[in-house]
Amino acid sequence: MKPGVVLAVVAAAVVLVRLTLRRRRRLPSPPLGGLRGRWRESDLLGETGLVARREIHERLKSRMFRVVSLLLLVVVAAAVVVPTLTRAKAGPDRVGLVAASPSLRAALQAIAKEAGAEVDLLTEPSLPAARAGLAAGRLDAVVSGRGKILVETPLLPTDTSGLARYVRAVSLSLGVERAYAAAGLTARQAAIVARARALPVESLEAGKAPRTTAESTALIGVILIFVVLTQYLTWTLMGVMEEKASRVVEVLLATVRPLQLLTGKVLGIGTVALAQATALVGVALVLAEAVGSGLVGGTAPLVMVATLVWMVLGYAFYSWLYAAAGSLAERQDQIQSLALPLSAPLIFGYIVCLTGVSSGEPSLLIRVLAYLPPTAPFAMPTLVGFGQASWWQFALSALASLAGTLGVAHLAARIYGAAVLQTGGRVRLRKLLLGSAH
Amino acid sequence: MADLLELEGLARRFGTVAALDDLSFSVPSGEVVGFLGPNGAGKTTTMRAIFGLLELDAGSVRWNGSPIGSTERRRFGYMPEERGLYPSMLVGEQLEYLGRLHGMSAKAASIAALGWLERLEVADRATSKVETLSHGNQQRVQLAAALVHDPELLVLDEPLAGLDPTGIDVIGQVLVEEAHAGRCVLFSSHQLDLVEDLCESVAIIDHGRLVATGGVDELASRGARRVAVRVEGDHEANWARRLSGVSLSEVAGGEARLVLEDATPSDYVLDSARAAGRVTKFAFERRRLSEVFREAVSR
Repeated sequence: MKPGVVLAVVAAAVVLVRLTLRRRRRLPSPPLGGLRGRWRESDLLGETGLVARREIHERLKSRMFRVVSLLLLVVVAAAVVVPTLTRAKAGPDRVGLVAASPSLRAALQAIAKEAGAEVDLLTEPSLPAARAGLAAGRLDAVVSGRGKILVETPLLPTDTSGLARYVRAVSLSLGVERAYAAAGLTARQAAIVARARALPVESLEAGKAPRTTAESTALIGVILIFVVLTQYLTWTLMGVMEEKASRVVEVLLATVRPLQLLTGKVLGIGTVALAQATALVGVALVLAEAVGSGLVGGTAPLVMVATLVWMVLGYAFYSWLYAAAGSLAERQDQIQSLALPLSAPLIFGYIVCLTGVSSGEPSLLIRVLAYLPPTAPFAMPTLVGFGQASWWQFALSALASLAGTLGVAHLAARIYGAAVLQTGGRVRLRKLLLGSAH
Repeated sequence: MADLLELEGLARRFGTVAALDDLSFSVPSGEVVGFLGPNGAGKTTTMRAIFGLLELDAGSVRWNGSPIGSTERRRFGYMPEERGLYPSMLVGEQLEYLGRLHGMSAKAASIAALGWLERLEVADRATSKVETLSHGNQQRVQLAAALVHDPELLVLDEPLAGLDPTGIDVIGQVLVEEAHAGRCVLFSSHQLDLVEDLCESVAIIDHGRLVATGGVDELASRGARRVAVRVEGDHEANWARRLSGVSLSEVAGGEARLVLEDATPSDYVLDSARAAGRVTKFAFERRRLSEVFREAVSR
């Protein structure tokens, strides 16, 4: 671990975010022009680009965005750095030896290997000196050749640290040796008994393998996708509803076609979402490299890329539906009943995949959900994390998602165009689609 | 060539209600055209139809003889009945944004926005959020939003509603100036006295149908002759109640307003008044627009 580097990276990231999101000063001259000159590509996209650019500008300016971004940044940084801090603390334990014969030293080394503990054996001049070293924190445990074992605090039964395992093993081994000597066993007999091994116990079912780094990354990815989608889809829903409620949509639609307005809004908010997610992943990678986290090893970066890809595909699929739902409402209280059915498949996919990652094995359900556009944003990154998705399966799922997105975009544009100028209460979808509403 | 907006045979039903029923009229450039009708007559539906905001069952809207597409609509300005601006966006940024949506460059939109804010006397609020403005100032900004791209056609739904006299003067003057600068200006209002002052012509609709159209002067002078007569000492105008071929429409402040049938000579009325006492007023009058309106929508 390199604490200095970690601090520097976190500080740099925070400063970068602050600079990027800083509220622009309102200069007296020129008084206007807040939207000018940043993204020339909007000219290429025409009205859609202008709508998208306004969305980006307004979202970046909002206090909510800045607060949420900083919070997510802190959470991601903690998720990367904290595990490495814990691991560093569990490094080699220092065991002081007093009046230890070479055979005892060899036996203690062997016990460490058996217990899976990392220990440094340090020779101490006397028991009082070793005791002082233990009290001062220079040593983690003391073993005396005269049959004494010292630790700083009592070992709790629940303590499974390397030091606890090692001290218990030494205690047992030295105690048994003393018993052998008392029983009158020769050194050879004692050695034979000491090599005794427990008979292996076989189970009918295979044991659960420990979670790999890629699976852990998939777990973080699934959570990140859920958080980002929930946040930005809500923004899309609210944004459309607010445009309808403030009646500005009628002014806009006098110039811009409904599909252009809808596409611009989806693109603008989606761009902010992708930028935020990319920044989070970027910070996570840089931090992981700096602290030597396993996130940058093996297939974990691939899982991160898959996470980003499916975040985009998931947003693309759901954003149209949320935007269309927003056009049906013009008050906050109407939003709740509209958002609930839309978020049901989102929450279902999230919970199934979260459970799948935790269980250590992707279920058949996850394998099926990976090809359904509403749940694929969670299921496919999960399969990638388990290394159980080949490139063609990934591509097939992405194609299915894109096809689904085209379908819902068509439906959403139809709903939006018909509903967004209808005021005076929540528009009923069934009446709208039957064409009898006015 | 002067611009011309033509509406021909517009029809639109909402369920069993005919919002527009074979509605036709035109809006020439260079004059302010008042668009009048009772509530629910179809004014807002007509305006939305001009901007393609709803589909028509029949009829067509043409600009200079051609169907209206997105390119033409970019050159139109619209102020809907229900005002619409982004509440938390800065006034100047909002106008610039709307100007750019109409095809202006960023610089041109910025300059135009500031120009209109100055002309409408709200330039000092360019960097304020819309939601912090008073109703009257929001109305002015809304008008600036319709004008920022220098439109050839201006369609305004109730632009004077809720304004104080100063606001009415400012916005009314802008409408007249824009019309005289060669724009087509169509605006709806229930404030008929103001319409009479501002408009050269009007189109009156009821139940989605056109019930009267023409120049304000022409409409006011149409129909039966009217005279206002005051006879000293006869505050109830009893002398007028005995006349044949004349109907008494109103008596106010001792003054009788009379409507003459075609065959009734005005001399007959004057002689009858003189016979009743000393005549202190005898004047031919034209109809007020409010009278034209009431007569048109009560048919």
